[in-house]
Amino acid sequence: MPGPAKFFMSVLTLMAFASGAFAAPIAADEWKAYRDKFLDPSGRIVDTANNNISHSEGQGYGLLLAYLANSRSDFDTIWAFTKMEMLLRDDGLAAWRWDPEATPHVTDANNATDGDLLIAYAAALAGRDWQRPDLTTAATAMAASLAKNSLETVGGSVVLKPGNSGFGAGDRRDGPVVNPSYWVFEALPVMASLDPKGQWAQLTDGGNRVIATSMQIGKSRLPPDWVSLKSKPAAADGFPAEFGYNAIRIPLYLIRAGSRDRALLESFQKGMADEQGRLRLVDIMTGATRQTLDDPGYRSIPALIACVLDKTPLADDIKTFSPTDYYPSTLHLLSLAFARRRHPECL
Amino acid sequence: MSLRPLLLAGVVAASGILVLQQSGMNPFAAQEDPFAKSTPVDSESVHAVAANGAQQHPAPSASSSPVSPANDQVAQATPTNSPTPSPAASGPVVDETALRYFAARGDTKRLEAEIARLRALYPDWTPPENPLAAVPQGDPQLDQMWRLYSEGKIADVRKAIADRQTREPNWQVPADLLDRLAVAESREQLMNASNIKQYDTVIRVASSNPAMLTCGDVDVLWRVAEAFAQTDRKPRAVDAYLYILRNCESPEERLATVQKALDLLPRSDLDQLLAAGRTIDGRSEFESVLGEIARRAVIASDADPTVRVSAADIALVEKLAVAGGARSDDLMLGWYYLQHENPKLAEDWFRKALAKERDAAAAQGLALALINQDRPQEAEDILYEWRDASDDVRAVYLAAVANMLAIQPAPDFRGEVLQRIVAEVAKAQDAASAQQLGWYADSLNQFETAERWFRTALGWKPDDEPSAYGLALMRWKLGDQPGVRDVQTAWAGRSERIPTVGERSVETAAIRRRERDRLEIGPSADPASPRPVHAVPGALPQPLSPDRPRLPAAESPAERPRSEVHQLYETPTEVSSNAHRDATTQAAATYLSEEPEVARRQTRRQKSDRGRAAGCRSTQDPEGLSPNAALSRGWCLMEANRPIEAAKAFEVALRGKGQTRSDAAYGQSLAYMRVGLTDMAAVAATRAPFSNSRSVEINAALLESRANSAFQNSRYVETLLALDERARIVPETLDLMVLRGYAYLNLVRYGDAERVFRAAARAGNRDAMRGLNDLWAARNPGSNPY
Repeated sequence: MPGPAKFFMSVLTLMAFASGAFAAPIAADEWKAYRDKFLDPSGRIVDTANNNISHSEGQGYGLLLAYLANSRSDFDTIWAFTKMEMLLRDDGLAAWRWDPEATPHVTDANNATDGDLLIAYAAALAGRDWQRPDLTTAATAMAASLAKNSLETVGGSVVLKPGNSGFGAGDRRDGPVVNPSYWVFEALPVMASLDPKGQWAQLTDGGNRVIATSMQIGKSRLPPDWVSLKSKPAAADGFPAEFGYNAIRIPLYLIRAGSRDRALLESFQKGMADEQGRLRLVDIMTGATRQTLDDPGYRSIPALIACVLDKTPLADDIKTFSPTDYYPSTLHLLSLAFARRRHPECL
Repeated sequence: MSLRPLLLAGVVAASGILVLQQSGMNPFAAQEDPFAKSTPVDSESVHAVAANGAQQHPAPSASSSPVSPANDQVAQATPTNSPTPSPAASGPVVDETALRYFAARGDTKRLEAEIARLRALYPDWTPPENPLAAVPQGDPQLDQMWRLYSEGKIADVRKAIADRQTREPNWQVPADLLDRLAVAESREQLMNASNIKQYDTVIRVASSNPAMLTCGDVDVLWRVAEAFAQTDRKPRAVDAYLYILRNCESPEERLATVQKALDLLPRSDLDQLLAAGRTIDGRSEFESVLGEIARRAVIASDADPTVRVSAADIALVEKLAVAGGARSDDLMLGWYYLQHENPKLAEDWFRKALAKERDAAAAQGLALALINQDRPQEAEDILYEWRDASDDVRAVYLAAVANMLAIQPAPDFRGEVLQRIVAEVAKAQDAASAQQLGWYADSLNQFETAERWFRTALGWKPDDEPSAYGLALMRWKLGDQPGVRDVQTAWAGRSERIPTVGERSVETAAIRRRERDRLEIGPSADPASPRPVHAVPGALPQPLSPDRPRLPAAESPAERPRSEVHQLYETPTEVSSNAHRDATTQAAATYLSEEPEVARRQTRRQKSDRGRAAGCRSTQDPEGLSPNAALSRGWCLMEANRPIEAAKAFEVALRGKGQTRSDAAYGQSLAYMRVGLTDMAAVAATRAPFSNSRSVEINAALLESRANSAFQNSRYVETLLALDERARIVPETLDLMVLRGYAYLNLVRYGDAERVFRAAARAGNRDAMRGLNDLWAARNPGSNPY
């Protein structure tokens, strides 16, 4: 398969960015703005656009951003909450959803593997750079559990179950179902270093294959959020056949993990942005625009593609950060942090 | 510094911390802790970890080292095999910040807990004599953090630390505070995991934080014990509960410990816990739980009758029922005694419950207790009010009806009782009860009414062979030969006995019996008109057919001359030996009859007819009798229920020829069968040719006997084979269906057992209902069906 494959080795070297002397790629005031808006004092990241619930993905992003902002104490606060309130499952992974209105707060003990990957990844990075063996130990346990419980082989490819239960061939008529945006590619080599026996390299291959094939489903040439792998990849039942809020992260993850596959990234860039650089949610079958998103956080993704491929400078409101909603603001800081570290010429 | 190994080595009971080293008491000894085996990375790079493998040891760290007590070796580690430098060796610096803080606040509970904790950590440490003395620390911010901690505001402590580190980048958080925070957070994690039943996590967290397993926080110990119990590690749950009972003092918590264990542990384990209880003023501290435990034993045994309840438990529940007056106890005991075949006691308890509050459940229990005491009329009377309460209650009501109709001699039912029975049977379209009404009418010689009921039963259940048989029989008694043939044609090939209606001795005997009854009642009774008793009302929903007029009036108020009937029954009547023989042949035939209700009826009647056996009351050697006289004597002895002598008389009669010899062989094989000598019965049956119908009867009886004896010897497959063979020649009786059901049950063929029990239970058979109950218990071990 041409395209997004062979980049893990470079990722490892990228990953090892200056453990001792690193200048935080997220500035203290940016982190403070983010924290003041989305971090509850209890240590939970609040999804402001979603009834103020929290989820493992949000905790994972919060930990990663706190690490990137070099804010150890906030990291500890988020970590403490994550551990106390969500890392409850017998298999050592996180319950995916935490509702402040419910008792017990965890109403669904299933996990979400993107959240698990983000949490384990952030803990591994912080454990390494801050000499915190407790975090490394926790990350290692999560990596081992993910490798053992959350990977499966479908048609010769190793893929990531979105959750440990509910998405398999035995659970749904169109199962197995996967979510290509759950592949946090940059985390996979780190998982491999913690858990060398896990099929992490194969999982990277599998993810690339899932993305490439699911981009062939409709004429939009964009992948849907949820993909059925029962036979030929197809949009999964019960979800909109849409390049939506989930899938928009895919190019960001690819780029952060080191991909410079121009053909692949260009097809995302063409498909996901309109002439003004706004982000489109797209009906993958027709290519029609379902929704246009103007938030600088969303726009930062096609902008980052242009930066990486063509050194196109980022627009002013993308270069700077001011928080809006939890999700686009998170994507914004991740884009910005990457541009600062790897592509200062775009700033 | 790494405190954990020392802590684990140095834990002493006085500290109140769960003593993991105590032999056999470490509930975590075999627990796998994924964190325990993982290796913290060195500080260079994540990559290096992969290269170096997982053998490195944690670098000494101020924060808690995740060494797990999961591993026995670690749990019992002494400082010498500890991989980390022993703080004891160089003299530990004991952080007394928290101690002084709690002392200053006058928080004695936390102060004591902290002293216990520090003692456990540092066995050589002595607490300051006056912790207040050195209070001034001059760090109000740290004091504030401790205050937040002591108020349980864990997140606020984290926040305060974060804020201070932002302001003062060089400020070091006291290790003690971080340790305490970690423990508090782990406690929260454990509680949350417990709340969503993630029991492995509970155990994993507890095993990583043994410091939180103290009497000061019994809830944690309870959660851990529960997690063990819920994950099939009951012995460890017992250890954890026992730990509390041996070490913790709070009476309320001790009692609550046993209460929590009630739901999770079997009785034998509970007894271990009870044995660890204390006696205060001669009374067990757990007295209030003992009643609950006894109640559960009763309930468990109710669900599974093979579970024995100790006399002490039963006595305790009875005592509580009387003393406390709880209606639920009355009901529980009622069901218990019902299940354990003591219907009289069951009746008493259900009556008590009913006296406190009238409801369907108590009435249903009482009705079952009455049915089991052969008092179905009272059962019907009590349950009538509740008949529509539920399907279960209705089933019991109809069973009461079926049983009361089967009473022999047929009792007088008040007109209103019969009316309501009929109405309920009609409403339920209950074919089994309709059939019983048919037999009841038959027993009152109301053949036309009986015929109508059998027809009605068939209308509701067209494949009901006994009703069809009853229908044919009634038509034959009414002289309706075309009607008999209609039934016989309709059932050709589907019933062994319907084609023989009109041919067999049974029916001949029935006619004779009718004549005899007429004799007994007195000459005034005209056989063509019904006896002057309450008539059985015809089936209401069934339109009267014009060709069967003269239905007895539904409300005939005339009283049966009861005393006279009694007198007549008890006066030996002069009857010919021929009549004897007919009566006994009939008795024998119905004894073997395929229709159990008829059999039951006849069995009872036999008792009433006992006086008629006077003709062979004397002991006489049959040897000198003629074959015919010996034959008569044999039947007479059979009627007197002296089958061994009867067999001898039949032996003499076998010297006769033709019909006499055939009758003698028949009689002898019946006689041997009655005393259980099946083999000899089989031999006798070969000694003379029988008529086809007799041969069927004898073979059926032999197979029944074989099935019974196979069952008693637990040879269930053979039981089924015998029953199958028997079913090929005659329809299976309800009793044998029950036997078949139990054979299936014992062979764990639950589906088959259920089908058979249900079929028999629908016909009102009590044993089948019990069978369903047993089946339920077998399928649901440990549950209580009530």
